[in-house]
Parts: sequence; structure tokens; C-alpha cells
Amino acid sequence: MELQVYGYKCRKCGQLHYPFRMVCKKCKANEPHGFDPVPLPKKGKLLTYTDLSTLPADFNVAQLTLGIVELENGIRVTGQVRIPKPKTGMAVRINIETVRSSEFGKNLGMVFTAA
Amino acid sequence: MRNVYVVGVGITSFSRLEFPISEIAAYPAMMALQDAGNPKIDHLYVSNMGGGRVNGQTALASAVVDTLSLTPIGAETIENGPASGSSAIKTGFMAVASGLCDTVMVAGAERMREVNNLEATDFVATLTHPLAEYIYGVTLPSLAGMFTRLYMEKYGVTSRHLAMVAVKNHANAMLNPFAHLHQPITIEGILDSPEALTNNPIVADPLRFFDMCPVSDGGACVILACEEVARKVKRPLVRLAGVGQATDTHCVHERENPTDLLAVRGAAAQAMKMAGIKPSDVSVAELHDAFTILEIAESEEVGFFKKGEGHLALERGETALGGKIPINPSGGLKGKGHPVGATGIGQAHEIVTQLRGEAKKRQVKNAKIGLTTNFGGFGNNVVSLVFKRED
Repeated sequence: MELQVYGYKCRKCGQLHYPFRMVCKKCKANEPHGFDPVPLPKKGKLLTYTDLSTLPADFNVAQLTLGIVELENGIRVTGQVRIPKPKTGMAVRINIETVRSSEFGKNLGMVFTAA
Repeated sequence: MRNVYVVGVGITSFSRLEFPISEIAAYPAMMALQDAGNPKIDHLYVSNMGGGRVNGQTALASAVVDTLSLTPIGAETIENGPASGSSAIKTGFMAVASGLCDTVMVAGAERMREVNNLEATDFVATLTHPLAEYIYGVTLPSLAGMFTRLYMEKYGVTSRHLAMVAVKNHANAMLNPFAHLHQPITIEGILDSPEALTNNPIVADPLRFFDMCPVSDGGACVILACEEVARKVKRPLVRLAGVGQATDTHCVHERENPTDLLAVRGAAAQAMKMAGIKPSDVSVAELHDAFTILEIAESEEVGFFKKGEGHLALERGETALGGKIPINPSGGLKGKGHPVGATGIGQAHEIVTQLRGEAKKRQVKNAKIGLTTNFGGFGNNVVSLVFKRED
């Protein structure tokens, strides 16, 4: 099964959100279970990034690149960047991999690579 | 609503303090009580962000109220991330303005250096979105780095401008005996010299070491009172004339324009409207420069300069001591330090000291109106306060 990140579409007005929220930010619909999960696109462009070299203790690396990507449908996501020399505006592909592991377990999340 | 005055202030040095966190809150409270002539306190509000996580001390206010032998008065702990201090002042303001209390004490404390820097950074990072930001290793410096890249591309801010903020605030901190960093720096030393890459390494590209505030322990306190009490206290009369607060999306990526700090804009506008002033009326400001870029961006969002022109005003020296609108005469978070839960009260301490005319070598001339902006999260919960000298 291919791993997939979902956005959340308001059942009343169609507004798409990421990450999950309980009340629609556009129409304020507040029915319980008011969102349908919608698969997020796997392509987008890199809006901004940073090479971070002071990481929380459970990252066993000296440096990590983090970035914000605008997906093809306009939704923005934060994730890890695995591109040697990233440039803002470049096309990226969204992969789903382990992004953090600690004594409590592993987190899957988005890793951006050059498209 | 009743008018609310600041009748007493106190502060610790911001540095590494080897005392229990309750004492770090209580010491500046004792100083503030002395400053105000030991008034009767009706309620105590204690601001703190990490006591439970970093120091193993929850319900800090209950400890502080007893340390100060103020029992049985009401006391509570207020946590609003790095804006906890100003949120506690807002709570104290509401208590006095509403008539519930005549005199309240607002004390803040943080002891972050009990743990190492990586743990302290991780503790602050827990305010980010747990699933959409935190798991990736997002920290506050990384959010600031991504924000800075956009700001540079859009408005032409350079590393040199950022270094100018650091140099200015370190210079101001040299004049502040309570400041964490008493270390003069120069642009040549931190940017141009052959040692710059080692003495000022890149931390969250394009931000470097000297673009970041230090991790500090520290405490600060203000005592707020109604007019009747304030008139009896033999101190210059400073009114807390405006209180504003605004919030923004939890995830930074959800903001429509990621170079806007709408919560700063909203909070400052509310505070100034309540005080009946415009940005040009402000004589001194303490802005939340946890990262150098934030001083530039906030100076625009609060209305001192047009969006995208803050760095030009900085170049012209308008934000330096003696400039048109001195920003962070205390040294700011950059030079004075950033004990997160106490920072907002530290800002208020500086503004009150300035408006009283007691800031000595760093005194801003004819300071009559002061503004603070205290930034919780990466701009997702901001409290702004306006103080006025009234006699």
C-alpha cells in the first residue's frame, strides 16, 4: 500500500485544510465529523527552506534541511528537504518516510526531493 | 473600566541562575514590593512556560505565593508560551480594571538553563504543531530561518541588516546591568573577519549564531494598581493605557502571506487604539527580537515603518538610542536575554523604567509613551501593551 498524507475537505463548503482541524476556517461549519479526507498531491514547489544545525536531541544528525512546499492544489505543507542545494521555487516531489524516531517510536512524514 | 497604573517594578539579572524557579519569581517580586512601598496585594499572577517540563515544578503560583508569605491571597500560573509574561500582565490589568482587585502582583520566571541547549530548544519547539511541524525537527530557529529567507528575497534585507540589529542590541545591553550578554560585537567581527564562520556559525540558514537570542534564566515583576492606590505611592505615575492581543494559525505554512505577522499587527493596533495613540506617538519600544529578523519585521507590523522598509530605517539609525524611535534600549531579547515566561514582564520593566526617567545611561530622552510586543509561538499569539507617563 502506498503511503499517503491526507488533507481535510469541509463537507459544507469544500474548503481544504492541512493539517486537520475541527471547525472549518472558511465557513466555520461545526458539525462533528464535518471533513472528508482527501489525498494530497505528491508534487509541488519549494517556497522556503532552512539548513538547521541545532536539532533536538533525538535527531542523530548534524544538520537537517526543513522547508515549506506549496502543493499543486495550493495547500502548503512543512517537511524535511533532501536536496543537496535547494532553491526557492524549484519543483519537488513529496515522499513519505520516517522523519523522526525516538525511544517512543517512529513518525512518518513528508520528505521533499527534487522532482 | 478603571484606569490601571504600574506602581512597582523589579527584575533579576537575565543569565544562568542557580536558584529554584519559585525564588527566581519571588526575588523580583520583593524588589517590586519595595519599589511600590509595600502595598497590600490582592491577587498574584505568575507567568511561566516551562516549569512543569523543564524544572519539574507545576502550579508555580502556589509555590511563589507562599515563598512571598502572601497566603491566603488568590494566585494563579499563566502560560501562553513566550508571551506568558504579557498575558499575565493582561490578566492583572483585567483584575484591576474590573474592580475585582485594587492591587495585583504580576511576576514571571523561567529557568531554562537547568537543561542543556538542545533540550531547551526542544522544550520551546513543543509549542509548534505536533504532527505537521514538530515531528520534522521544526524548532523556533528553523521557523525564523525560513521566514528570513522569504523576507530577504521579497524586501532586500541582507545578513548585514540582521547583524546591525545584533550590534545595536548588544551595545544597548552593555548599558543595562541586568542584561544577559555584556559582549560588544562589531559587524566586521561577526560577518567579515576570517573567524566569522567559527565565531558566528550558521545555525538556521540564513540566520547565524548572533541572530539568535541567548537561552536565559530570569524573573521580572510589575505591580499594578487602581488610581487611588497609585496616587498614594510616591513614584512617577505610569499608566498601563493599552492592552491588545491577537492570534494567527498554529502552523506557519497555513498563513496566506508567510512574510506577514498579522497577530503583531492586530495586537499592536488594538493596544494603541485603546490608549488613543498612533505609532508616531510612541517614544520607546521593546519588541520581541528572539531573532534579529523579528525586530525588523515587527517594527513594520506595529506601524513604525512601512512594510518592507524596517531595515532601511535601521540603516539610518532611527531605531538606535538617540534615534527617532529607539527599539530595545534594554538590549532586547538578543542582548538582555529571553527567559521565555518572564520576557513580557521584562519588557514592561524596561518601558516603565524608561518612562520614569530612571534608565540612566540607556535613557531615551523625553520618553512619555512606550510600547511592548511579546510574541508567543512563531507569531501565533501576540500581546502588545502601551504605557503612558501621566504626571
